Amino acid sequence: MVRILLKFSEKIVDQPITSQVILEQKTPVNILSARIDQQGGEILAEIALAQAEKVIDAFRKKGVDVVVRKMVEVDKERCFDCGACIALCPVVAITFKDDLSIFFNEAKCIGNTCGLCVDACPARAIKLIG
Amino acid sequence: MSKLTEKAFQQKNKRSITEINEKIKKRDVQVLTVEEMKKLVESSGIEVAFKEVDVVTTGTFGAMCSSGAIINLGHADPPIKIQKAWINDVEVCHPGAAVDLYIGATNMSELRPFEYGGGHIIEELIQGKEVELRATAYGTDCYPRTRLETTITKNDLNQFHLLNFRNCYQRYVCATNSRSETIYTYMGKLLPRFGNATFSGSGALNPLMNDPDYETIGVGTRIFLGGSQGYVIGEGTQHNPENRFGTLMVQGDCKKMSPDFIRGAAYTKYGTTLYLGIGIPIPILNAGVAKKVAIRDEEIFTDIVDYGIPRRDRPKIERVNYKELKSGRITIHDKTVRVSPLSSLKKARVIAEKLKTLIEDTAFYLTAPVERLPTDTTFKPMKQTKEITFVNSLVHTAATCTENEEISAVAQRIIERSVNHIVVVDDQGKLMGIVTSWDITRAVANGKPKLKDIIIRKVVTTTPDKPIDEVARKMAQHHISALPVIDHDRKVLGIITSEDVSKLFGR
Repeated sequence: MVRILLKFSEKIVDQPITSQVILEQKTPVNILSARIDQQGGEILAEIALAQAEKVIDAFRKKGVDVVVRKMVEVDKERCFDCGACIALCPVVAITFKDDLSIFFNEAKCIGNTCGLCVDACPARAIKLIG
Repeated sequence: MSKLTEKAFQQKNKRSITEINEKIKKRDVQVLTVEEMKKLVESSGIEVAFKEVDVVTTGTFGAMCSSGAIINLGHADPPIKIQKAWINDVEVCHPGAAVDLYIGATNMSELRPFEYGGGHIIEELIQGKEVELRATAYGTDCYPRTRLETTITKNDLNQFHLLNFRNCYQRYVCATNSRSETIYTYMGKLLPRFGNATFSGSGALNPLMNDPDYETIGVGTRIFLGGSQGYVIGEGTQHNPENRFGTLMVQGDCKKMSPDFIRGAAYTKYGTTLYLGIGIPIPILNAGVAKKVAIRDEEIFTDIVDYGIPRRDRPKIERVNYKELKSGRITIHDKTVRVSPLSSLKKARVIAEKLKTLIEDTAFYLTAPVERLPTDTTFKPMKQTKEITFVNSLVHTAATCTENEEISAVAQRIIERSVNHIVVVDDQGKLMGIVTSWDITRAVANGKPKLKDIIIRKVVTTTPDKPIDEVARKMAQHHISALPVIDHDRKVLGIITSEDVSKLFGR
């Protein structure tokens, strides 16, 4: 699976673009989270690797800005493994390893559409990207 | 038993700190971390554990707000008797003579408040970084200088000592939040409606929890402090032995410390602090001490406390033990709630292991306390000479309406009663919403003359038992100027306005 962040400008935010892409490409798009405000909207979605290229292409043709990259960066030097972030994560992307250090599963993280952990980190070690 | 054999028996069942230090010197000492010791007691019993083990090492790494560093700058030329000083725009306090400064961990930067503070400065100085110092003074005959600007590193300082007046809490509470909004506290970020919980302390790894009667830890005890050696210099402030909330006052040389074990930290909308690592060796002087260090997480209880109620005596919700807390899930009102530690359990473990290695390598010797910590002090609340004011003494009758009334009738009431807020109620007097004179003015201007369309339905409210300070903060946070006062059934009892609050402070 590939995670993609779809950014909709305020001009296109009211159009049913995601539904159109799903129908046209005949492929499921798993929406993990979404938000919308005056500046536009963002959808974090998951798609099958095999279809990734054509789905991303289809979104781009409809004027959606598609970002394919990790959405969070953890500064391991700053992190002192307290765990203040753990219980806040709605998708359980943060867990303790056996040695009680923090494991941050970046593939599970829903990044910008959530961000609950960021301001709870006393070490300020978590940064959202994009 | 004859006198002689009794003495021999007692000697056999005791071990002194001098004997332990002899063993350290001969590299013959048996040291276990507190986790290893608990396992040994479980598998072989207290007698065996006592016989085999000389020292047990404990550890904790957590936010310790009542910390700071005392620095001595040396004298300037011409000399200055500093009155006010700032390091990297963080005000530092001037507690003594001319050039001694105290960097308090919770003092915040004037340019980056809540993000950068005294704790970060202490960490940066320990890292060897250069910081900017600015100071002002009133000037005297002997200290004529009134302004100073320079840069300093730890090597430029005569003394750079950690001097912490409350550290190493024996245990702490577990925090949660009953309110319908997220709150930011010194116990971290607490989501609405018991959405999460946080706890502090390392439980069965904690130094004082393993010596709960302070038999071995006392004034003069040498400890692992921030990566170097330090000392217990007394009971910490708010030391509360009767409730197993003991604390320590500690001191140590920052110049030898390591940023691995001392970190500046920031709690959003609360402030800055210092995370500090403390490890304390417990000499296993007798079987009684061995038994006490066998304490397990499931035997250490604390309260789940509602931080949503900003009062001194916050409501206690349930009892919970550290085993449950460390499992990551607890139960609050029959609901599973995820719980996070604020202290680093990994670092606590690393500290206990590191201290063990230091002792085995003859780099750390034990000390006998020169004075015991008190076991009978109590933690009193503040003496307050002025009564606090509650909503019930300021609340007055609210001007009300029902949602089917004409807007003109409501406008008429605003003028008659000379108020700005009309509380909307149903026929049982229960809160339905609120309208302000501004809402009505706007509705008329926009040609929207239906009252129903302009009622604000999401109303911020209060209850008669709330202190006025809480009401003032609520109004400021929500940018509003009145709160309907309601009872448990949402029945409107009255209203309190910003005018009522400001009159009180203007008295």
